Parts: sequence; structure tokens; C-alpha cells
Amino acid sequence: MPRLPLEGIRVADFSWIINGPQIAQWLATMGAEVIKIESQVYIDIGRTNPAGMPPGATGFNSNGFYHMLNYGKKAVRLNLATTKGRDLAHAIIRRSDFVLECFPKPNSEKLGLTYPEMKKIKDDIIMISVSLLGKTGTDPSRWVGWGPMACCFVGMFDAQGYPGGPPRQTGGTWPDYAIASTVVFHALAALRHRNRTGQGQWIDASMGETVIGQMHEFFTDYAMNGRERHQQANNDDLMAPHNTYLCGGDDQWIAIAVSNDDEWHALCRVMGHPVWAHDAKFADQFGRRQHRDELDMHMREWTRNQEHRELAATLQKAGVPAGPVLDSVELHEDRHLWEWGYWWKLNHHEVGERIMPGMPVKMSNVPQLNYSPPPDLGEHNRDVFGGLLGLSDAEINMLIEEKVIF
Amino acid sequence: MGEATLPARALDDLRVIEFAEMVSGPMCGKMLADMGAEVIKVEPPGGDRARRMPPFAGDLPHPEKSGFFLYLNTSKKSLTLDPAKPTGADLFRKLIAGADLLIENQRPGFLESLGLGYESLKAINPRLIVVSISPFGQTGPYRDWQGSELIEWGMSLTGYNTPTLVDDAEHENPLKAPGHAAEMMGAGSAAAAAMMAIFHREATGEGQWIDAPCWQATVNTAKIEMAVWSYVGMPFSRLRKNVSVGLEPLKCRDGYVYVLWAADTHWKALKQILGNPDVLASEIFDTLAGRHTNDDVLRPMVKEELARHDMEYLVREGQKIGLTIGPVHTVAQAANHPHLLARDAFIEIDHPVAGPFKYPHHLVSMTATPPTPRRAPLLGEHNAEILGRLGISAADQQGLRAASVI
Repeated sequence: MPRLPLEGIRVADFSWIINGPQIAQWLATMGAEVIKIESQVYIDIGRTNPAGMPPGATGFNSNGFYHMLNYGKKAVRLNLATTKGRDLAHAIIRRSDFVLECFPKPNSEKLGLTYPEMKKIKDDIIMISVSLLGKTGTDPSRWVGWGPMACCFVGMFDAQGYPGGPPRQTGGTWPDYAIASTVVFHALAALRHRNRTGQGQWIDASMGETVIGQMHEFFTDYAMNGRERHQQANNDDLMAPHNTYLCGGDDQWIAIAVSNDDEWHALCRVMGHPVWAHDAKFADQFGRRQHRDELDMHMREWTRNQEHRELAATLQKAGVPAGPVLDSVELHEDRHLWEWGYWWKLNHHEVGERIMPGMPVKMSNVPQLNYSPPPDLGEHNRDVFGGLLGLSDAEINMLIEEKVIF
Repeated sequence: MGEATLPARALDDLRVIEFAEMVSGPMCGKMLADMGAEVIKVEPPGGDRARRMPPFAGDLPHPEKSGFFLYLNTSKKSLTLDPAKPTGADLFRKLIAGADLLIENQRPGFLESLGLGYESLKAINPRLIVVSISPFGQTGPYRDWQGSELIEWGMSLTGYNTPTLVDDAEHENPLKAPGHAAEMMGAGSAAAAAMMAIFHREATGEGQWIDAPCWQATVNTAKIEMAVWSYVGMPFSRLRKNVSVGLEPLKCRDGYVYVLWAADTHWKALKQILGNPDVLASEIFDTLAGRHTNDDVLRPMVKEELARHDMEYLVREGQKIGLTIGPVHTVAQAANHPHLLARDAFIEIDHPVAGPFKYPHHLVSMTATPPTPRRAPLLGEHNAEILGRLGISAADQQGLRAASVI
């Protein structure tokens, strides 16, 4: 297998659920040895959440929620509530380049997973903490919460929804994923700094602050002009039509975004030049935006009985930016995602063949990333405690008996 | 402040050429520039289109006053250059000869059509890392499709699932997120992959070509929703009646709170902060199944109880007992929140034309090499400096200007 970019880098990974695991997956698939430290005391809820459990499956090793976020890694079991468990964790940290954790602050303090403690164990360690709103600052640094709460805190939900309606939630657990690649970039910059200077550091990543960057124009508009933008549905400052429109079939939609006259004329051609479209009020972009509600009404009538994937392909071919809003079934059969190489097939000893999301980048000199199967709970106990830390089988058996490896 | 007290800059030895407009490419360039890399932004003689995007300082459209542009282009240098002209292409090759990275978000195939495709650039500089960001990627059936934030977001499950939880599918059409979330995701994966490529180059001496599509990066943010289909075998649904947890912004006396009440422990905590009202005491609500089955009765009662209390009280008391509850802020509330101010989430940057105003500061906070954004460049501000460095005399620069190459 060709060399992977992060070979020789080790990560002591105490993270769980979504954001930390997604960060660790970037590092693992790119060649770092990620040792995920779990236990039956702090079981990653991805292993048990009903949202990913195949019908009839039991235990900790069959869950799709966990599989999709944790392939490429090693997993050990370690009870951090015991002194011996902590000592072993420290031994792993001493041999690592990164420590990663995403507990709420009170929990990470209780477990001793703070930067001052980590620095005592290994002076040049790079510690990555991911949290709702950061682990310094005022009260909210101690809150419990998950991704969406970061959005609501920084104004994203207030800006999400239909004009005049209540604030709404942005897709699923968005910030948990949004922060991952951002953290990976900064973590690798920190690694480079350490390699050059010998100095480690603490990366204190706040999902809220990542979201602020994503909606920067809302904040600069407020800072420059004192203006607060609230819900604007899909309305755009410049484009019209710019919306999702109901198509034939159950809950099927198409997104269309027309940004100039050429695209508008192409759209008119595909629509067969209906009389309404030649009304003078739709002749230029300004007019189309001024009359966008009426425009949307006509568009909805036109898309209502069409198949959204076929219609999008027809529009794109004609030069109109459009795309089908794909549901979970369509997404898994999408030809582009297969041919580009996003999906891959996992063969798992408990759940058989399953479709996995791959990494969303391709690198010409890294043709195959590390897509080793998601680890069973404690699968690498012997590998890590024996191989890395040098414990004998007898010592490991004793630690299992003492519920340290638990 | 003396030189010695300035924070270290992790990427200050990297030279980056950015040939990119609007959001995805420039955001990736900003991430590198804020970490110390020299990023030379190659702008068409009329400037990046983002210079014409609102908001504008004082609401006056002006190419140097767009908050949209100013945020996305901090810490860079600007060189106006038209690589579509032969002389421009020659200068572009000269820039590439001394660069570590090229970041571009032109339409796939465009650079190749100018004789500046990856293979040609590699021949000039084999250590070069080319980062190509695009809507759908450099290969595959949608390669030549036109993208747009609405489309890249809408085609992902995260887009289908925005707003999350709908009652009336026909009248609640899928929405884009506030800002340019999908383009930002493409920027994030591109930046992470760029750092991977730097490590690969340090180990092997070779550069490479990175393909970082915005759509795939956004698709990658809905793993639980994927697992519902590929593991559980149920098509993922955005309809509230199919979801067993309560999670949406709910009205309280003076605004909205976002509260997760799924598990029994959440439910107990929620009842407790509401003062254990009699109407919620029925034991049929004591189990998740019971709450789900009776959601149509329960939810209105919970809403009525929440409306009796203030946001600040609910969040404070809920967080005290481990309830995942947070305030739904407006952008103004977020911009002035003591916690975000204590973390320096915003930074005032002065600009010779737009003046001083507060920008979102960092995407993550770092102790040793923090991102430190400096003002964005004026259009062509660094022409003389950069062309001089390439050995172009002042007289020749005059000629290039006359021929609209720069």
C-alpha cells in the first residue's frame, strides 16, 4: 500500500458520539494510528443508538451510526474511574502526538482531561478539545449540549425558517460535522509548528464559533450597518428564481438557482416558453427578484408533476443550475457519488455488506485511504496494551479481571 | 507590542497562490493566510465577484466596502492578473514556479483550457500542491453541472432535513442554511487535505492534486440519517410524526429555547424546571414510547408550560441539572454576548476604505499559534511588490496595465 500522509502519528482519542469521532476519522483514514479509548462506563452512544441499529441486532458492534464515524481506528477498553485505568491512559498519551476529547467541561475536569494535566504527562502534546461553546469564557463553557445548541446560541436558528415564522433547526446535527475538517486543518498546522519548534498547544474548538464563521455576512452586516437579518427562507439578495419546488412523487423537490439572464433564457426554453414567462416584469434579474413570489407560483405549477432527478439533468444540460433534493434512498444509489468514489462497501463480520460514506476529498498521490473496518469494542486491547505498552498477556488478563480494562 | 510578544505563525513559510472567487476557494485561502501563509490572491482585473456582494459598509455598494469580501479575504495580498491572456498565463506560470500551493475554484477543466492544468503546472514545479475546489468534483457525471449554494446544500440529506422536523411536507419546502454552509464545508475539507498534502510532501518530496467538492463534503454531514436507511432499513423521514424525540426551538415567555427531551432523564429534568406541573404528571408520559405515542397531546402542554417562564431562567436551571437546553439568540444577541466577547469571538479590524468594524475572529482558538486575521487587500494593492519580485520592471508593468493583463 502506498504511504499515507500521517503515518507515524498517534492519537489518544477519548472522544465520542459525532464531532470528535469525525475529527479522528480524518486523521485515521489519512494514516494516523488512532487509539479510541472507550469503556462500558462511558459507552459511545453511537454503538447503541436505535437510529443505526439493524433490526434484530444486539450488542455494541453492529451499529451504523458508530461504523460510519469510526472506521479506520483502533479501539481499546479502559475504565478511567480507576487509578490503574488512568495510569494506562497516561501511558498511551505519553506515546501520542495528539489527545482528543469532546466531553462537557465538568466531565473532562472530573476525568483529568485538561490541557495543564496533559502537558504534565507530555510537554509537547497537542490537545484538541471540542465543545459546544468553548472551554474558556463564562458560564456557557460548562454547559451540556450538542451541535444544534451551538447554532441556536449564535443566531443561526433565528435566521433559519420562513419569513415571520418561528426559528427553525438547521439540518440534523450540522455543527458537529461542520467543525471537524476545520479542526483537522488547525491541528495539522499545530503539528507542523511542534515539528519545527518542539512546542505543543491546546486547540479549544467551539462549535458556536465555527458556525459564526459560516454565517459571517450576518455578523458583518450587523457590525457595519446595525442590521439584523432574520428568516429569509430561500430568498437570495440577487438571484430569482432561487428556491426548492415540489415535484411529482412523495416529498420530492428540485432546487433551482438562476443567477443571470442567460440562465433565465435557458430555463424559459426548457419550460417551452410559457406566456407568463415573457411578461415584462420578469425580463431582468431585478424584476424577477421583485416579483419572486409570483415567479415561484408559476415555477411550482411547472415542476409539480415532473420527476425531480430527470428534470434537474435536463435543466443542467440546458445550462440552468439545478439539482434534485435527494432522499436517503436516492442518495445511496446516486451514480455520481459512486463513480466519483464517495461510497464504498464495508464487509463486516456481524452486519455483512453495508454502504459506507467515504472521505469527501481525493488526493492524486494517496489513492487509497485507510478504510479498515470499524473496531469492535475493545478489539485492540492486546495490540495496544501488549504491543504498544509492553504488558504481558498475564498482566492484561489481570487488568481485565480487575475491571480496569472494562 | 514588541516583535517578541507576537504569537508564532504556524504556516509562515508557505507561499500560496489563490485563483478563486466568491466563497469556497477564498475561505480555504483565508484559513491558510490567517495562520501565517503568504497568500497571493490572483483577481481578474475587475476583482473577485465577492467584492460586489452585500453587506456593504454604510450600505453603499463599493468594491472595497463589501463585508462579504473583506471577511473571506483577510491576511491576503492582491494581484490583478488575467491568466486567459497569453502574457497573463506566462506570469501565472512564474508565480507557480515559486509556490507551495495553488488554491483554485474555477469550473473543472477551465485551467486546462488555458494550458494551466495540473500536469502542465507539475512540469514547472513538481513540489506544487494544487487544491481544486468545485461543486461536484473533477470527475463523474455531475462534473460539469453548475453549482450554487442552494443546490449543493439541497442535494444532501442535510439539506433535505432543513428545517428539521416538519408537520406539513407540502408547505414546508427544504431550505438552505443561512450563509454559505455547503461552500464552507468544501473549503474546510480542502484546507484539511492541503495540510495532509504538506505532510506527504515533507516525507516524499512530491506534490499532488487535491479534488475537494463542496457537495460531497456536505453529503458527509448526515451519517445518522444515512444509517437509518442503510442499517435500519427505513427511508429517512423529515416528518415529525416519524421522529421520537422532541427537539426544536420552543417559545418561552421572552423568546425561544432549544431543548432536547428524548431520554427519561431529560424528561424528568424538563418537568422539574417547569415546576412539576400536574398536567405533565401522568405516568403515560414516563416512557419514551409513551411520550412519542402521545406527542400530539403532550407537545402543546409542554409548550404552554414553557411559555410561563423566561429564557434565562429555563436555561440556567436546566443546565444546572444536566438538561440539554440553550437560548435561541438573534445575531445581535450573539454579537454582544458576554461569553463570546470573553472568548474574543469577534475582532475589530481597520481598513483604509471600509473603516474599522468587528469581524468574526477565529474558527477555533489555539494557545501557541492562534489564527490572526489582518485586513483584506485593496484590489491590486500588491501588484508592484509581486511583479517586482518576479523581475518585471516598472516600465513593463506599465505595459501590462495598458494591455489589461493586470
